[in-house]
Order: sequence, then C-alpha cells, then structure tokens
Amino acid sequence: MKKGQLERLPLRARHSNRDTRIQSLDIVICVILIFYAFLIIFPFWNAFVISISSEYAYQHSNLLLWPTEIDLTSYQRVFTNNRLWSGFGITMILLIGGTLYQIFFTVITGYALSRRNWTGRNLVMNMILVTMFFGGGMVPYYCLIRDLGLMNQIWVMIIPGAIDTFNMLLMRNYFASLPAEMEESAKIDGANDIIIFVKVFLPLSLPMLATVGLFFAVGNWNSWYNAMLYIDRGHSNLWPLQMVLKDMITKVSSDLDVGTKEDFSEGLTMASIFFTIVPMMCFYPFLQRFFVKGIVVGAIKG
Amino acid sequence: MELTTIAKRNNPFRKLGGKIMRSKYLILMIIPAIIFYIIFCYVPMYGILIAFQDYFPKRGVFGSEWVGFANFAKVFKETKFWLAFKNTLIISSIKIVISFLGAVTIALLLNEIRMRRVKKTVQTIVTFPHFLSWVVVSGFVFSLFAGSGAVNSIIKIFGGESIDFLADKGFFFGMVFSSDIWKEAGWGSIIYLATMAGIPQDQYEAADIDGATRLQKIWHITLPGIKPVAILLLIMSVGGVLSAGFDQILNLGNNPIIREDVNIIDTYIYYHAIEKSGNEGIGTAIGLFKSVISFTLVIIVDRIAKACGERGII
Repeated sequence: MKKGQLERLPLRARHSNRDTRIQSLDIVICVILIFYAFLIIFPFWNAFVISISSEYAYQHSNLLLWPTEIDLTSYQRVFTNNRLWSGFGITMILLIGGTLYQIFFTVITGYALSRRNWTGRNLVMNMILVTMFFGGGMVPYYCLIRDLGLMNQIWVMIIPGAIDTFNMLLMRNYFASLPAEMEESAKIDGANDIIIFVKVFLPLSLPMLATVGLFFAVGNWNSWYNAMLYIDRGHSNLWPLQMVLKDMITKVSSDLDVGTKEDFSEGLTMASIFFTIVPMMCFYPFLQRFFVKGIVVGAIKG
Repeated sequence: MELTTIAKRNNPFRKLGGKIMRSKYLILMIIPAIIFYIIFCYVPMYGILIAFQDYFPKRGVFGSEWVGFANFAKVFKETKFWLAFKNTLIISSIKIVISFLGAVTIALLLNEIRMRRVKKTVQTIVTFPHFLSWVVVSGFVFSLFAGSGAVNSIIKIFGGESIDFLADKGFFFGMVFSSDIWKEAGWGSIIYLATMAGIPQDQYEAADIDGATRLQKIWHITLPGIKPVAILLLIMSVGGVLSAGFDQILNLGNNPIIREDVNIIDTYIYYHAIEKSGNEGIGTAIGLFKSVISFTLVIIVDRIAKACGERGII
C-alpha cells in the first residue's frame, strides 16, 4: 500500500537516491536480524557438536565449530540411562494427565466467570484477583504442601497446578467475547448451563483451548521446580526429566550412575539436553501461532 | 392468605435462594475453583502468621509461640540478607531496562523488514528459547563458558588466557543478563510487534506525503504507537522488581564458590529456610517483607501512571 502510493507520486519517484537509501537500510536490518538469529542458534549448535563428539576431540581442539569425527557414544549412553528414561516416563504422566487436569479446571472456572448475572460472581472474581497481587510466599506454601501430606508423591507436581490465573482469565475473556444470544436461545430451548457450555461454547473455543492447552503442556514438559522442592533424592525415581537433567548438570562429578569422572560428562549432558528439547524443536514451528495468539490476546485484553 | 404469599415472595432469603437455584450449574462449576484458591492461595496467606512465631512444624500455626518482630530483627541483622537484597535490586532493575530495550529493538527490526520469509524464519528462531527451561539454558551457558568451552577457546585463539567465568561474581552478572536477553527478548518482542501491526496505516501514508524518512516515521509514529503498551508492561514489571528470577539464579548460580555471593531474595529464602529446616519463621518474614514492598510498589506506580493520564492496571 505504501509502495503503491510512492509510485503514484511522480515527484517522489525522481528522487532515486532516496530509494537506494531505503534499499541499504533494508540490507542493514536483514544483516542485523540474521546475525541475531545466529547468536540464538549458536548455543544449540555448540551443544549439538559437543554431544556428537568424542571426549578426545572435545579436549584437543581449539574451537569445536564442526565435529571432527562423529561419535555417538554420548547418545548411546543417554538411551541406555535408566534415570533419564524414568524421568521421561514421569514427564509423560505429567504431560498427559497434568495437562488434561489443568485444562479441565481452568476452563470450567473461566466459563463460569464469563457468564454474567449469577450471585457471588464478583465476589469470586475479586477473591481470585487478590491472589495475583498478594501471596503467602514460598515458606508458608512449603509448609502447606508438607501438612497436606503431598511430599515425595507424584501428586505434588499435578494437584497444586489445577488453575493458572492467567490462562483462566484468557479463557474467561474469550468466552465473554462470544455472542451472549447463543446462550439465551439455548436457554429457551431448555438447555441448562452445563449443556450450553459443552454443546455451544466449547466447540466454538477450540483454538483458544489449544492455546491454553499448549501453554500447560510446555509448562509440564519443563517442570522441575516442584520436584526440586517437594521430592527429595530418596524418591528420585519420581523426578521428571528436567529435574534429572538439572541434577546431572549441577552434579556431574557426583557418585551417581551418570557422569562419573572418567566419563565424558560434558558430552552426556549435552546429549541429554537434546533428548529433552528435540520434541519441542520439532513441534514448535507448527504450533508457534497458537502461542503467539495467546500472548497477544492476553496482553491486549488483560 | 394473600398477604403471606406476598411476604414469602419478598423474603430476601427466598429471593437469594431462587437466584442461586437458577444459576446452580454455574455455581457447581465454580466450586472447585473456590476450594482451590482457598487451599493453595489463602491458606498460605494465613500462614504468614509464621513470620511472627517461633514456628515448630509439629505444633503448627496454632500451637507455636508468638515472638513479635523477632524474626524480622534477626533477618535485618544479617549482612548476607542485605547482600541478597542488593543483588535482587541490581539484577532486576537492569533486567527490566535491557529486556525492554531488547524487545522493542527486535520488534522494530522485524516490523521494518520487508522480506517476509526472513521475517518469519527469524521470528520462529528468536521466540523459541522462551520455551526452554532454565535447566536447559544453564546447561548451554555452562558449556559455552566452561574452562574448555567455546568462549574460552575463542579467547585462546586470540592469544588470551582462559578465564574462569563460572566462579566470578562480575562475570556471573554478565551471564545472567546475556542469558536473559537470549531467552526472553525475542518472545518479548511479539507483543510490541502486534501493537505495531495495529497502528493505523493512514498515519504512515500521511507521513509519506509529507516526505518523512523511515527513521522519522519510526520515531514519530511507531514508537508513540507502542507507548501505552510499553508503559503498561513496565508498570507490571515494577511489581516484580523483588523477584529477580528464581529459576535463573538458582540454575546459573549453583556453583558453591559463588552461591552465597550471588543470592537474590528468593534463593536466599530457598537456601536458608527450605533446604535447612527450622528457619520457617525467618523465611516467612522475608517473604512477607518482599510481598509488602512489591504490593506497595505496584500501587504507587499505578497511581503515578494514572496521574500521568495512562491506563493503570488496578
């Protein structure tokens, strides 16, 4: 549109030096962005090269920009590592069970709060909003989890995550933006609120549901915080993948069955990192638009 | 007879009961949320009382002895706590500034680029690290800055001595800021980019007719266009000024040599009151101190923004 305007103005067209200046600015922008993208990629590449190199190559070359010879020992050790596979199993439980659980409670809460005219709605809304600005802090929360008897149980990574206030408000705003007449006509046809929710509103909000679900899924895939706080080393068979990885990264030289000193712990760690991020790298380009949508809608409406 | 029916109809409790019955399914749907928020948000708020107690887990909040402000007095005497406080303020205020500048710069560059395919590819690449956990990012950072890592290799190629980046406080701060930019700036740019896309095109056309250069258009149209969103996001980040990023500092600062020197408030609480048991009172006191300051800051900044004619958040 802007370009068309320029072409229609003969006076502008004669200033040919202006056009070349725009061209050079374009190239500058392009170079800066590609350089920045390179900076983003470099740590991935560096880790990848280390993961497919032998220890000898890692220690004896100046800068590993390209694998001198491909050595897949690190990956072999990843795939035969029981702790990583047990972490993977726990993460899959969190990813499937936890995500469905979170979607269920977050979405029904968002729907109920999106409907006007029911007694107590504002009270509940304010009760929830207060928690966004003020909380008890880490220690009382820790005491609560301990008193509930959730320590060292897999449930501690699932149950307390039932509702995420940000995602809940995202769903609420989406439901509220759908035409209220649908609800009224369904009411006249004799449907109750649950039927209206399941049969009318839910099918219309699948894109938003996908966005919220993906945010939950990524959170569960990356979950380690709850495991670190509430699941001790004695129950490390309940640690999710990221917690196993964290343990590996911070304690590479400990007496655990991974990363003893003679082993190439650097390579094993990098290979394990790829084990955890490759699924996300494969899916991200296709799912990117859902994430972007979530953040844009959330920020504009919230 | 008629009078009693009227009386019944006007009975406020009956009215309320009727209202509740009409929306009984919605209330059924909200009950789990009420239970959830009471247990996981309001019970910990009640637990703040621990801050004023000599807390013993076995006796609980009811049975523990009240000690007034003794826990606060104990914390405020600790030099290590004030170091953590200082670190928190330094790290988070610098982070707020650089992540804002980084996000706006990337958004401007992506907004100005005309090659659609380059734009899309770059955007996919730069937003991806947001979805990595700090565990993974710390693994990357350690492998880059380790003794035989890529950065030291480059230094050696240029004839320098290898540097122990991981055990130096100054370099640690540098790693914190650069990894934060690396991970979040691309993602942060999305919101600005969306705002830029919402600026009416006719403003740019009018500027074209007036002969504005591209830089002038950026300065006079694009940047004012994103100002309201930028202010809103800055207000929100001020509320978090005492949370300098627990996940990041915990993962990057795990080296025992520097751990105590690079603590922020949250990691201080973690190392001193959760890893070591028996310090619940102190940990809660610090948490309360932090929440009260954050809450006050949010309110102050919100008032200032409203006084300046911007949209607030509360």
